Amino acid sequence: MSTAMNFGSKSFKPRPPDKGAFPLDHFGECSAFKERFMECLRDSGYESGACRQRAMAYLECRMERQVQLMANEPLEKLGFKDLIDEKSEAKPEK
Amino acid sequence: VVPGETALAFYKAKNPTDKPIIGISTYNVIPFEAGQYFNKIQCFCFEEQRLNPQEEVDMPVFFYIDPEFAEDPKMAKVDLITLSYTFFEAKEGQKLPLPGYQ
Repeated sequence: MSTAMNFGSKSFKPRPPDKGAFPLDHFGECSAFKERFMECLRDSGYESGACRQRAMAYLECRMERQVQLMANEPLEKLGFKDLIDEKSEAKPEK
Repeated sequence: VVPGETALAFYKAKNPTDKPIIGISTYNVIPFEAGQYFNKIQCFCFEEQRLNPQEEVDMPVFFYIDPEFAEDPKMAKVDLITLSYTFFEAKEGQKLPLPGYQ
């Protein structure tokens, strides 16, 4: 049955996010990164996989703010390991 | 979006009034059965967020679809999952019914 009607005891139980909430970017400090990401999505026909580099850049922006908008987390742990590996292959001396 | 791959999505919220609003949001996933595969790494939800008068903000959600989604025969015909948020004005002392979350 693929109806969305839920009779009986089955109710939707919202789950909180793994890493908690994002503080709001009240000053639009990362808006430019968001715009670049959205531009990529539009250009790619909303293919999320095509825009992972820019998604990563957006999250990095959040982490790098003086007043952090996202707690520091190694990007490899956020599903960007392959992009990081590519980056470090391209630049052998950092 | 590919199951297992992390993805970013943006919503936008605007406070059209001339008073600050403190809101809290909760989400819903359709189809219902896909909800168990939807994993939020981080989002703007569940915690109170303050929107100043006339303020408009971007609200990001960083998530992934559990790779097991691809193995579930019940999900074979699901190619569209809709995530929606409802923003409530937070009243003092109000807590969303979320057992075990604090």
